[in-house]
Amino acid sequence: MENIFIILLGLTMIYIAATSRLAGHINMLIAQGWLLFFVCLSGFAKEPWFNWHMISGSQAIMDNMPHIIGLLFVIVETLIVKAVVIPVFLKKVLKRTQAHRDTEANVPHFYSLFIASIILFGGFLVANIASPEFKLVDSMYFGVSLAIIITSLWLITIKHKVLSNVIGFITMENGIFLLSLSVAKEMPIIINLGVLLDIFIAVFILGMLVNEINNEFDDLEVAHLSDLKDYEYND
Amino acid sequence: MINLILLFPILAFVILALFKKKFLNNLMINLYAVIHFLVSMAFCLNIDFLPMWKPCRFFAVDDTNKIFLAVMSVVFLAVAVYNNGYVQKETSLTKKLRHYTYMVLFFVFSMTGAVLSSNLGVSWVFIEGTTLASAYLIYFHKTKHSIEAAWKYVFICSIGIALAFVGIILMTVATGNLNTLFYRDLYNNAPLFNHFWLQLSFVFILFGIGTKMGLAPVHFWLPDAHAEAPSPISALLSATLLNSAFLMIVNVFRIMVFAGCADYARIMLLVMGFLSLFITAVFVYHINNYKRMLAYSSIENMGILAIGTALGGVGMLAAIIHLIGHSLIKASFFLTSGNILETYGTKKIKAVTGLLKRDRRTGWLWVASFVGIAAFPPSVLFVSEFLMVKTMFLQKHYLICALFLILLTIVIYGLGKAVIRMAFSAEKDENQEETSEKVKLDWTMYVPQIVMLVIAFTIGIYMPQGLSQMVLMAVAGF
Repeated sequence: MENIFIILLGLTMIYIAATSRLAGHINMLIAQGWLLFFVCLSGFAKEPWFNWHMISGSQAIMDNMPHIIGLLFVIVETLIVKAVVIPVFLKKVLKRTQAHRDTEANVPHFYSLFIASIILFGGFLVANIASPEFKLVDSMYFGVSLAIIITSLWLITIKHKVLSNVIGFITMENGIFLLSLSVAKEMPIIINLGVLLDIFIAVFILGMLVNEINNEFDDLEVAHLSDLKDYEYND
Repeated sequence: MINLILLFPILAFVILALFKKKFLNNLMINLYAVIHFLVSMAFCLNIDFLPMWKPCRFFAVDDTNKIFLAVMSVVFLAVAVYNNGYVQKETSLTKKLRHYTYMVLFFVFSMTGAVLSSNLGVSWVFIEGTTLASAYLIYFHKTKHSIEAAWKYVFICSIGIALAFVGIILMTVATGNLNTLFYRDLYNNAPLFNHFWLQLSFVFILFGIGTKMGLAPVHFWLPDAHAEAPSPISALLSATLLNSAFLMIVNVFRIMVFAGCADYARIMLLVMGFLSLFITAVFVYHINNYKRMLAYSSIENMGILAIGTALGGVGMLAAIIHLIGHSLIKASFFLTSGNILETYGTKKIKAVTGLLKRDRRTGWLWVASFVGIAAFPPSVLFVSEFLMVKTMFLQKHYLICALFLILLTIVIYGLGKAVIRMAFSAEKDENQEETSEKVKLDWTMYVPQIVMLVIAFTIGIYMPQGLSQMVLMAVAGF
């Protein structure tokens, strides 16, 4: 079941690579938030301590308190932060800055689509070839998250709008989150907290900087941000 | 005592937010600096004046991070003293000043946390915290250039840190059934780790945290950020932030050593170190902004630290000595550059002429800092670089040694050319009229540099028994 969600996650990256509308990118972020949430849920449903009868008995809930806190935490992280808070915030920024399209990417959309597909294919390939080697890692998760991270990094380099760079950063964080799910043992909770902090504050700082850049330069092109050089620069 | 230095900034934060008095801003920074200094000196002397107050298990002082903490304290104290004079000149807006104070406290707090943490994950969280705090400080002047620098800084470092997190995930894979990220457990169980995943994880962590440390292929934020930040912040960035990132690399490197993958790690560190030296040698030669020049010199010195770590043994010892010297001298260099910026109002090397005539003390501090950073004999950097060269000879790496010396010479030539032109050239005519209205600088803007340089030159000649003992303890196990 969760393989479907994971494949859909990979496909969202292809959609992001192929479209230039920033609103579309943000919608894909919402989709990724939901998909990650479903992946987590199906992971939890497979855990040995989990069964549906537990909900009625308070003793069972008390016994599994750490697991339940982990579950709640994941729900907060993926659903509330990734699928609601960040997209709403980015949409606000989008509205204020009036930057709806990122048209002048360095690579045309068709090629983007093609390259993103190749990367995703490469991810599956790595997962398939190396899967006997992975003992503690779920190969499907690993391949797709690798593809998401690489595609995001590549998209950051080719896009021209500051906001699409931020979106690329968030999709990369989503890929890393998927990677941390691929490890077949529980990550210490402090790590999850850290990731949450990372995304939360980085996005807000980046969002605020986007606003400042918009005020200062009237426009969100990355090209404005290349004035600091070693030779011939005026200060 | 750990609790004291970690909780005080939060307390100061609350007090500032409640009372909003202007005099509190500097008072809090100074108070924190003094407390920080006292606590770290107590750690160095193995005195615990608050034995009842135990820290939580995520923080601990050990032989290695003790030195990093002490260096940070000295630099922070100096910067705090300098800051008193600096903010008077810089801003009169109470609100802006208050935000500045918040962020300085948060910045030092997160660096302290990163240095003291005994857990890989917690170090990572605090390193992330330093990015967030210093982003505002770099953007402090609110100009187009500072926006650009802050943007690059946040973006590049966030990506770097995210990649370091990938490294941590891979590390948990490598640890097998061990479910912990405490350094102590990782060291003890390192021989059992899976080498493939461990090596992969080291690559990610080195590149990710290397971004914060300013090692060469991923250093691009560093010159911009150091040049655009206010001078006290540049000093903090260069002399303490880069070190705290370096400590994390050292800790992970130690895991590699215990796991038996040290050769692999050494090659990577060596390559990155030499790339840093090379980049600096290329760019420092024609540079026209003196703060950028200092930033490139930081990249060079971080490269030297990486090389020293890679050499191991005496090289590692030299790296720790180099770290102490570099932090003290570079902080003094950056603070002095702040004085020049106040006096001349420009960061261009060509526009600064006759520094010694214009402001004698700043001029001599500038020259003395150069002598220190160029590792001329009384400077402690001479000792460390000499030890490094000696190690290279003993390990029979003659080619590497030659390359090291050539690159260092080019860097020194590039720096020296600019510094000597700025300090000893005749004052231009157009500046003659302005000299009548000389900028008066506060005494606090000279004393910290003098003290730091005196320490750096003194330990170059005579290293006290206690300090050399501490350095030896810090590198035990490499």
